[in-house]
Amino acid sequence: MIDTRADALAVIFPNTYDELIPEASHLRLMASIPFASRYRIIDFLLSSLVNGGVDNVAIIVKKNYHSLVDHLGAGKEWDLSRKNGGLNIFPPYSREGIGVYRDWIQALESIRDFLTQQREEYVILTDCYIAMNFDFQDLIQKHMASGADITVVYKKEPIPRPLMELDDPEKGHYYTLDVDGDKVSGIHINPKDKGVQNVSMNIYIVGREWLINTIRDAYVHGLRHFLRDVVGVRVDQLDVRGYEYTGYTARILDRRSYLEENMKLLDDANRDALFAGNRIYTKVRDDTPTRYVGDSSAENVMVADGCVIEGEIKNSILFRGVKIGRGAKVSNCILMQDTVVEENAEIDRVIADKRARISAGVELKGTAAFPIYISKAQKV
Amino acid sequence: MGKEMIAMILAGGQGSRLHVLTEKLAKPAVPFGGKYRIIDFPLSNCTNSGIDTVGILTQYQPLLLNEYIGNGQPWDLDRLFGGVHVLPPYQQASGSDWYKGTANAIYQNIGFIERYDPQYVIILSGDQICKQDYSDFLRFHKEKNAEFSVAVMEVPWEEAPRFGLMVTDEDDRITEFQEKPANPRSNLASMGIYIFNWDILKKYLEADEADPQSENDFGKNVIPALLRDQRRMYAYHFSGYWKDVGTISSLWEANMEVLDPEHSGINLFDDDWKIYSRNSGNPGHKISSGAVVKNSMITDGCRIYGTVKHSVLFAGVVVEEGALVEDAVVMGGSVIRRGAHVSHCIIAENVEIGAGAVVGSMPEKETSAGVATVGSELRIGAGAEIKAGAIVRENVKEGAVHD
Repeated sequence: MIDTRADALAVIFPNTYDELIPEASHLRLMASIPFASRYRIIDFLLSSLVNGGVDNVAIIVKKNYHSLVDHLGAGKEWDLSRKNGGLNIFPPYSREGIGVYRDWIQALESIRDFLTQQREEYVILTDCYIAMNFDFQDLIQKHMASGADITVVYKKEPIPRPLMELDDPEKGHYYTLDVDGDKVSGIHINPKDKGVQNVSMNIYIVGREWLINTIRDAYVHGLRHFLRDVVGVRVDQLDVRGYEYTGYTARILDRRSYLEENMKLLDDANRDALFAGNRIYTKVRDDTPTRYVGDSSAENVMVADGCVIEGEIKNSILFRGVKIGRGAKVSNCILMQDTVVEENAEIDRVIADKRARISAGVELKGTAAFPIYISKAQKV
Repeated sequence: MGKEMIAMILAGGQGSRLHVLTEKLAKPAVPFGGKYRIIDFPLSNCTNSGIDTVGILTQYQPLLLNEYIGNGQPWDLDRLFGGVHVLPPYQQASGSDWYKGTANAIYQNIGFIERYDPQYVIILSGDQICKQDYSDFLRFHKEKNAEFSVAVMEVPWEEAPRFGLMVTDEDDRITEFQEKPANPRSNLASMGIYIFNWDILKKYLEADEADPQSENDFGKNVIPALLRDQRRMYAYHFSGYWKDVGTISSLWEANMEVLDPEHSGINLFDDDWKIYSRNSGNPGHKISSGAVVKNSMITDGCRIYGTVKHSVLFAGVVVEEGALVEDAVVMGGSVIRRGAHVSHCIIAENVEIGAGAVVGSMPEKETSAGVATVGSELRIGAGAEIKAGAIVRENVKEGAVHD
């Protein structure tokens, strides 16, 4: 058979940091949070995988996954509607005896049968809170060439603020690595070190057989966290390698970073860094182009298709199908799909979730650190 | 089980009046309205009308059209039984033929139609911008117990001589057909959209093919033959927006009309009758600080640093600082460099307009000078001047003037 596929399948954990962004993930999980005017966070990961030849993707969901399932459908838009491989979504209770999983070990144990039946030599494990245009082909090749047990992807950067502020380990873990050449010699759990660190991106690649055996063993021993309990404690016995990612990343971890990471894309250099390279696919909505009507004005904005702009927009990100009425003023806002800002309303530093409606003449003003959040379909 | 009605789209015309725009692609594949191609209109109409089997008859430059249609998924026409099929002429045991005329194109695909055993066949045109509910047309056809129906539009009497005209009685039954007559006796113009009972159509296609004198054309041969035999023929009145975009100026005009749905009648923003298209996959467009955008349509992937007024920009167009785009249609991927002025024109796909170049220059705001057109993939050098109404087929050197 002609080799167009990568010899790796991917397992995605889309719920990892849900606790950190309770507002927007109240109705949906982190992976399906809208980002960059027309995408969901998971679009970046799925597109990167598919562009890297990985077309067997399993997603292990825990809660609030209705919007994700709705977004993904059969995976057609990502070319993941396949006879072999393609998209598999595993809801909780997919195996008797294991209910809603608490951690990766349980989750992976719950899909052991699935993993056993696959043919790919390698498994990519990843959570899903980073928007990036990642070259998985390169990661797979480096891992294969090294013969390592596990390769951990990291980025040299300061620990993101929301993680530094994370006190309760039950809300999530993050890791930094001691790297010696490409060897990982130490793994730190929830460290508070300042300055540039080797911050794990929670993307790993391992051998499939190795993973199945390791998980079975870890599950029996009641271990919970893959990197902490399986890899971290045995870092000197295992061959653990680091893979440095130097590309653009947008880490969404709380309301503030959500606003900041969206706004960063108004800078052409950042936008190019994220979108140049391979195409990012998303669910198609069949919107018309955006219309600018009458006395509208627009300055420093990113706007998706299907909007109608009759008022003023400035320093903002507009998702598909947003309507801005006559005389309305919008600045420093993120307006998710089908938000309506009626005539003469004025809003500043507002994040409006899908189908929110801001009534005529209303004034709303948030601040950079605490933007106002309007929940899905709410009318103000 | 057979299909009640299937659609056959005549998309074989060379579209030579669109000049440089159709040199590399078939007319139905010509881009329109910011993110569509002309063929999206009949295809979306079919889907929205409940027709799930469509044949597209084409013979010129089919490559891009084929790729664009693909498996028909964007129009929901990827079906287990039915769906959309591009039908070029093909080699048969008894020899092969180009499509000799509109009727012959259907004749050569009788085999395709019979696979679906339809009661009715609707014949559509692949070069019209129109939103039409074909199910209402079929309801009319059945109500009249017709064997053939044609969709007609009332046109101003003075323009009537340019059209094929249907003379009807008070019950809309067609009594006479006049092809571009000097003295029109009707102002009901044929839109080139027909519904036939399949058994009747097949019979007349076979008879038409057997006649060596025939030009194998619906308007010239088949419809007159039906009339001669006094078949039950009816005219279905359509009053919505309808435009044949067969010329540069009508294509430009129709694009401008999209900018004014409140008055022009072509409303692409109607959620109840969406027009579907294959998606470009670009991120949202960017309007920079200092840019000006007025009364325009901007599509995903565009970047605007200059001024855009009353224009339609397709996916991924870049307008650099100090550039001015006015009353223009700029197709996907084209770049308007610094300080260039682009007005009253159609810029095809992936064109580069050099810094300071002027396209569609018009003396003293004259409007009758015609639409300038720049063909796809061309480069217009910095400071060059393309006069109003000019048609550009080749790269233009820096500072050159093109009439």
